[in-house]
Formats: sequence, C-alpha cells, structure tokens
Amino acid sequence: MEIIEKVRHELKNVFDPELNINVVDLGLIYNIKEISDRIIEIDMTLTTPGCPLHDSISSGVKHCVEHMKEVDQVYVNIVWEPAWSPDMMTEEGKKLLR
Amino acid sequence: MISQNVGSETNVKLPFAFFAFSFLALLASQIILILNGTDFSSGNFRSSSILSAAHLFILGWTLMIAMGSMYQLVPVAFLTPIWNEKFGFIQFGIFSVGVSSFGIFLYWSPQHALIPGIITIIGVIMFLFQMLMTLKKQAKPSILTLFVGTGLVSLLLTISLGISLIISWKTGLFSSHYHPIFRTHLLFGVGGWFTLLIFGFSYKMVPMFSLSHGYSMGLAKYVYFAYVSGLLLTVLAFFTDQDILLKVGFLLLFISFSLFAWHISTIIKKRIKKKLDKPFIYSLIAIGFGLLFHFLLFISLFTENSNDLIGPLLFLYIMLWIVLSILGYLYKIVPFLWWTHKYSKFVGKQSVPALKDMINEKRVILFLSSFIISCLLVYFGFIVQMFILVTVGLIHFSLTIIATTIDIFQVILK
Repeated sequence: MEIIEKVRHELKNVFDPELNINVVDLGLIYNIKEISDRIIEIDMTLTTPGCPLHDSISSGVKHCVEHMKEVDQVYVNIVWEPAWSPDMMTEEGKKLLR
Repeated sequence: MISQNVGSETNVKLPFAFFAFSFLALLASQIILILNGTDFSSGNFRSSSILSAAHLFILGWTLMIAMGSMYQLVPVAFLTPIWNEKFGFIQFGIFSVGVSSFGIFLYWSPQHALIPGIITIIGVIMFLFQMLMTLKKQAKPSILTLFVGTGLVSLLLTISLGISLIISWKTGLFSSHYHPIFRTHLLFGVGGWFTLLIFGFSYKMVPMFSLSHGYSMGLAKYVYFAYVSGLLLTVLAFFTDQDILLKVGFLLLFISFSLFAWHISTIIKKRIKKKLDKPFIYSLIAIGFGLLFHFLLFISLFTENSNDLIGPLLFLYIMLWIVLSILGYLYKIVPFLWWTHKYSKFVGKQSVPALKDMINEKRVILFLSSFIISCLLVYFGFIVQMFILVTVGLIHFSLTIIATTIDIFQVILK
C-alpha cells in the first residue's frame, strides 16, 4: 500500500467524539501529500467553523500520523475552502448518521 | 505549515468554577424554598424568604450557569478567545461573594441588601466588560452578536433596575414608579436577557448538534426586531398604564417566538444527524413550551383575572423554557468540557470515549421528564389553589433539579 493510502487508512482511527464517526468517513480529510521523503502534509476541515473540537481533532490527526513508522513529520492545515458539506461524507459515514 | 489553532478554547477551570458555585447556590435556594414553602404555596412571592430563594436561584444558579456557559460558548460561536481569563476568575470571585451575601441579606434583612447588591452588580458589570472586550475582537459581527449583545444590555438593565428597587425600598425614592420598575426588571431579566441569549446561542448550537447544513438565516433578523420591539412596547405600557400597548407588546413577543420556533424547525429539517441526542431533544421541547407560554401570556391579557394568571405562567415560562433549555444544553456542555480536559490529548493515540458515552441517556429522560411534571404540578396547584399540590410539586421540583444537576456533574467521575 502506498504511503498516502496508509495514512488515510490510519486516520480512520481518529473520531469526531460528538458524531462518533472517523474523520475520513466524515469527509474532513481534503488532501494528503508526501511533500518530501517521510514528511506528510494534510489539508483538512471541520464540519463548522468554530467547532469546539477544533484543537482536539486536528491534533488527533497529527498525533495519529506521527506515530506511523513510515512517517517522521506531519503538518496539518485546517482549511475552510471549500466549506464542508454532507456530500463529502463517504457512504459509510452517511449510513452511520441515519 | 503548522496546524492552525484558533486559540479559542477556554481554560475549563473557569466555566467549572461557575458551575460548582451554581450547584451550592441551587442547594441553598431549594433548602430555603422548602423550609418556607408556605409563603410560596400561598402566593406570598414577595416575602423575604421567597425573594432570597428566587435570587439565589436566578442569580446564583441560572445566571452563574449562563456566565460559565458563555465563557465556553462565546469563543465557539464568535470565533474569538475570551479577552482576559485572569479577569474572568476575579469576576467569578466578586460575583460569587456578591450573590452569596445578597441571598443572605435578602433573607435576614432585605433593607440592608444594598451593599451586597452593589457587589453583585460590580460582578455583572465586570462580566459585561469581559464580553464587550471579547465581542469587540470578533472579525465579522453577525445576527448572533446582536442577539447576545442585546441580551447583555438587558442583563445590565435588569440588575440596575433591581438596585433601584432596593433603593426605593430603603429610601422611598421612585416609590410612585415601584410597580412599573419591578415589572420591567422581570421583563428584561426573563425576556431581554435569558430569552435573547438562548435565541442567539440556539442559532449556533442547533445546527451544530443536529449537523444541519444548507439552511437560511434570513428569518433571524425578523425574530430579533419583533422581540426587541415587543420588549420596548411592553415597557412603555408598564410606565404609561396603556392596556392596548401591553397587548401589542405581548403580541409582538408571541409573534417573534413563533418565528423563532418556525425557524428552528426549518433548520432541524435540514439535519444530517437523524437520531438526535436526548438532552438536545429536551432543549427543543423547551422551545415548544416557550411558544405555548408566550401564547397563553398574550391570551391571559384578555381575561378578567389576568394578574392572577400571569404569575404562575411566568413561573412555567422561567422553568420550562429557560431552565429546561439550560439543563438540556448543560448535558451537552459539561461532558464536552470534561472530555476536552481529560481525553482531548489522547485523540489519535488511543481509543477515547464518544461524548455520548459520558452521560446516561435513560437518566436524562427520567430526570428531565420528572422536572417537567414537577413544574406542572406546582402550576396546577396554584391554578386550583390546592395547597397540598403546590407543596408536593415544590418538593418534587427541588429534589428533581438537585438530582439532575448531580447527574450532569457526575461526568467528572468518568
């Protein structure tokens, strides 16, 4: 499995504690890049600006990927464009909210 | 690039200090109420014991909870950190001394409650200053700012009018306007402060807890202008003794509340989260109660004995709209604060509980339903003038609200 997919898979262990759905199925992860060898950059969002779980979720994403043996460093960017919408959720995520 | 941190999280010790004090004030108010139940049951609401219990409940419990919650919610709703946390702790200290001494003096010697009242108002003014400085930093003010800002101005007016009532009591000053001032004090406290505050924060929390997207906020400005116009006309009616103005004022308040309830229902219809959490459902039920009581308050003006009906209806309005909303949201806010304090650092490292796991939803249904029943018992006891029903309802109410508060705060054991 290539590193990007491994990171995405690992991020399924980070949950939004309010919805109890992982950040990948919730559609919060916009982009994962290997910007140089063993250095990962993640663009992610939150369901609403001012989400009170902002710091918990973004640092959770950082800690989770930092602990991978294939990764030395992680940068997490919180972005608001494009704004999150329910369409960004995976089918699995949508099923969990029904 | 590093992870962006809005830095908007409040030190949990600050809201928890308010919540801890509020619990003690609640206990004190309920003990006084039960020990002096005959004053309450017989409708003698202006006895010193009832005034003490009411102020310990409204200032010591409800306002303390509102202040503690705002220290947590303002950064969330307005995307700006609290202006000065240290100042927040000092404000907490002064306000808690003020409220405690105010409650004691109202009970033992109401004529000497002026100085404790002034300490209380200093605590409130410090809170208002803190909020003003925080809201000033907001990059883009919104309709929510208007709701919360007007709520804060109403709080200042409520407290100032309360102090003028004590001065009137002590010196006879403004005595010819005592009744309109007293009514305005109640109106701004209940409608201006708490209702506008709950309106404002509901517009943030309802979409957040239901995960609603794609709704319009257009109706909110009509809700705001109708409510504020209703408040102002009602105050004018109090001072001019014009019956028609009072009816128009109450009608506008009812129209505004109807628009708000309708608006919230349209937001809820756009929700992604189909199964709503139980505490949040009770906050929504509280909106239904608020709407019903606004309607009944308006209708009561057309009856011959409106003065006898408004007091018990106001009791229900405070309990089943304001307090029930607060209890519902507290079941969300307190677990969140404790979860952030205890588990936030472990996210992504190990398995952590979901917020829903922090509370027992079956107990939420039990306690909040029991709370509603107890308030209705007291109300019907008043209406049919059955002393025993009011007393049973009152004891039921006190035990339920204390048990509910303990249930909310037992989260710290998790």
